[in-house]
Amino acid sequence: MSAIAPKFRLSYFIKSILDNVFWIVILFTLVGIPVLMVSMFYFPLPVMNEKLTSPYLMLTTLADPSRQIPLLKSVIHSDFFRITAFPGFGFAALLAAATIFIERKMLAKLQLRVGPFYCGKVEGILQLMADGLKLISKEIIIPAKADKPIFWAAPVLFVATAAAFVSLIPVAGGGWVVADIDVGLLAVFAVIGFFPIITVLSAWSANSKYPFIGGIRALHQMISFEIPLILSVLGIVILTGSLNLTEIVQSQIHYWWIVFLPIGAIVFFIAILAELERIPFDLPEAESEIVAGWLTEFSGMMYGLVQLGSYVKLYAFAALFVVLFLGGWNGPMVWPPFPEEIIKDGITMGPITVHLAGLPLLDQQMINDVLWFVIKTMGVIFVILLPRGVFPRIRIDLLLHIGWYKLIGLSFVNIFIALGLLYAGVLGPGGIL
Amino acid sequence: MVGEYAANFSHVLLMFGFAIVAVGPALLISRMISPRKRSNPVKFLPMECGQVPQGEGRTHFMMQYYSYVLMFVVFDVMAIFLYAWGSTLLNLPKTATLPIIAFLGIMFAAMAFALYQSKRRNIW
Repeated sequence: MSAIAPKFRLSYFIKSILDNVFWIVILFTLVGIPVLMVSMFYFPLPVMNEKLTSPYLMLTTLADPSRQIPLLKSVIHSDFFRITAFPGFGFAALLAAATIFIERKMLAKLQLRVGPFYCGKVEGILQLMADGLKLISKEIIIPAKADKPIFWAAPVLFVATAAAFVSLIPVAGGGWVVADIDVGLLAVFAVIGFFPIITVLSAWSANSKYPFIGGIRALHQMISFEIPLILSVLGIVILTGSLNLTEIVQSQIHYWWIVFLPIGAIVFFIAILAELERIPFDLPEAESEIVAGWLTEFSGMMYGLVQLGSYVKLYAFAALFVVLFLGGWNGPMVWPPFPEEIIKDGITMGPITVHLAGLPLLDQQMINDVLWFVIKTMGVIFVILLPRGVFPRIRIDLLLHIGWYKLIGLSFVNIFIALGLLYAGVLGPGGIL
Repeated sequence: MVGEYAANFSHVLLMFGFAIVAVGPALLISRMISPRKRSNPVKFLPMECGQVPQGEGRTHFMMQYYSYVLMFVVFDVMAIFLYAWGSTLLNLPKTATLPIIAFLGIMFAAMAFALYQSKRRNIW
């Protein structure tokens, strides 16, 4: 079989493209523009050049760049953009994709392999896209006796819960967070509590033995490490006096909490390794013992969605570690300021000078914050990925022993360190530092 | 007041809903473009490494670590209860720490007893 169909003619191909273009133009004119005009009446439109924008004026922005920038700004500061793109789902999915690529390349280097190499010209950078296309074109096989609605819903719910976790993470100063809640930390714990439920539901609904064993292991592991996870953060709450994640980041403007509470940071890190089911705590997915654990019966895109969810969850946990212990977005200003002459004189290209109102699109502080946040988060993700190439898997009784005896004890030590720092007058209101 | 407080959480729910709307179509598209051959009933048996599956998938399974699940129910509540104290500690007088220390002592004793019981595998 050749790559091109045997009846291929170039003229047919061009004709089919022209046909498609014709229908797209017809449909957009007859359906798209009326729908656009009608729907614009229902959205609050921004004020541009001291005029309230009407839908008719809105369409002129397509031709006028000086009107596009205020519009773009109003879109960027809308809730919809926050949820879909920047601190929300798109950003997290992008970082999750980058994480998968980095993990595969780094693991290959650790094991003296090359890793993904052929998809995309540069170092297999399109491997993830190829895998996605492969997974989406595979048949989804569901066991005959499975509980089908729950089995279908489990991967989607897993991704959605990971996304709900992402929504609580502040990315930059000035309110760049989807949901700024007073009790953000407790909300994070509430969302984390849903993961074992979804895992056990999917494992039980598959009606198969390996997922069942994997699901039970996941349940034990996740709930055992949830208590050290919760207790290790209590030291920060004691010193900060706030449960809001944005305020916790703002309290670290001079020094990071990992400096004063290193034990809490270590306990928290080990607990997030266990919550993420990563090596050395990957018992729920132990592929040399129970096939793929609770993922055994997932095939095709369902498996892909679970993977997406688990990497979004990984990003969220790494970001939570950065927010709590590594100072969030605080860092020295390294981003260059926006050039003044573009605001003052406009952009000159040959004979044309364009004055753009509303520049810069994003202020320098915000871009710098995001830069530092992403650098720190990628560093933490790198440290989370690293044990996969280094450590073996540990036994479940050792795992529970670590969780219940050592980590809980250490997290109480951490709480007493925080109390000591507070009552010795080192930190807190009126403290030395 | 209560409504405003609850409305703060609406963004979490919106994000949850958006993720469902965003990734749900992936399953639908996959269902549409992937091949579906229903000729072979063996294909829909549960995976047991090539063996013909025997018995029920959902069985009584001896996990031997059930006691930790029971302990979680108690100590998770304790951990969250400590947050109510920890987040208001800066506004409390220093004497308010002593009852919490006593509470922690009681909980430590309870935890030690529970861990001792959970080690006796023969009773679980």
